Amino acid sequence: MSQQPLLFRLIDALCCLPGVGPKSAQRMAFHLLERDRSGARHLAEMLVAAADNIGHCNRCRTLSEHERCHLCANPKRDESQLCVVETPAEVLAIEQAIDYRGLYFVLGGRLSPLDGIGPKEIGLDLLEQRLAEGAVKEIILATNPTVEGEATAHYIGEMAHQKAICATRIAHGVPLGGELEYVDGGTLSHAFMGRQAL
Amino acid sequence: MTHSSLHPAFILHSRPYSNTSLLLECFTALNGRFPVIAKGVKSKRSETAGLLRPFSPLLIDWRGKGEVKTLTCCEAAAPAIALNKKSLFCGFYINELTMRLLERQGPHARLFELYSASLHKLAGAEEIEPVLRQYERVLLSELGYGLILGQEAETGEPVDPEKHYRYDLEHGPVATTSDAKCSISGRTLLALEHDRQLSREGRREARELMRRVLAHYLGGRPIKSRELFQMQ
Repeated sequence: MSQQPLLFRLIDALCCLPGVGPKSAQRMAFHLLERDRSGARHLAEMLVAAADNIGHCNRCRTLSEHERCHLCANPKRDESQLCVVETPAEVLAIEQAIDYRGLYFVLGGRLSPLDGIGPKEIGLDLLEQRLAEGAVKEIILATNPTVEGEATAHYIGEMAHQKAICATRIAHGVPLGGELEYVDGGTLSHAFMGRQAL
Repeated sequence: MTHSSLHPAFILHSRPYSNTSLLLECFTALNGRFPVIAKGVKSKRSETAGLLRPFSPLLIDWRGKGEVKTLTCCEAAAPAIALNKKSLFCGFYINELTMRLLERQGPHARLFELYSASLHKLAGAEEIEPVLRQYERVLLSELGYGLILGQEAETGEPVDPEKHYRYDLEHGPVATTSDAKCSISGRTLLALEHDRQLSREGRREARELMRRVLAHYLGGRPIKSRELFQMQ
């Protein structure tokens, strides 16, 4: 420790990344120092710039370096549809996978009273204001199929209902390419209950 | 492993632990409430992750000598109890009460049974308030804080359904006049004791009494799940 404190401190710092333990952190540190100094400098600059400048969009709460993110600021997006998701990563996932033209609202979590997360902590007061503005005609609840995600969807659904806005929930069921035999019981029963007429 | 060595259990709460594991708070009949780590269940190939959620009757087994155990086996005992909307919020409320009040370890077979029955009743679209009042009352008595509902605190005489009482948290019902603040009718006290049907006014009285008693044992931090009912 006394010989090379900075190296060890770097390895320690790299351990803050998800999925990175001491061994991988050590590999990364040696790679950056021995083979890619300019990459290391660039990485450091980007990290500082991102940590200083990226905040949350004041309309949809996703990560953004401007007050309003590029999706909310885009006049071509359909204001009447609002998709509610738990994390900014899910906004990206939906954007990349489907041709959705509406807007988003990022909760940054889900209702979980046992973790001390109630309606205020996930910005539902902001969502309520947004619904009161009147532009939203359909709210698409894309929270995860966990009990907390389900509770969050019901809560927001009730909010929408009081304002006479249509609330829809994304379907969950058997994954594409999956086989019924190997799907767990809970998923299968959801899939069965959510069946559609052909 | 034989089937009979598995223990009926419910999960009260789960949270992520390291990259692919979950730290669960389990509730079983013989071992009460205790923490268990479910290793590797969040990886894509694991089929257990879908099972390990609150309100699912499970059969589990674990090992470990410390306070935190390691899950070794988990099967579904029955399909998950289908709580939705208001009953789901009630489920959270029951879980929060149990987590906050019930101490870890120690057998709680009666409470476990009632916990399971209460969830089924909530799912069965029964009136929710009697279910919650019964669970609250039994939970308190399991903890040794059982309410005295049937007899007067000072005289020891049986509670009169026609009279009004003020509930002293330490001692029990004390006779008072009907217009006194926070008064509760003898009829409501007796109905609570015997899990009988309550009138609309009686339900309000019972709810306020329980809220006051629970606040006393919960300390300063209020029940977070109540915020979910604001929308109703």
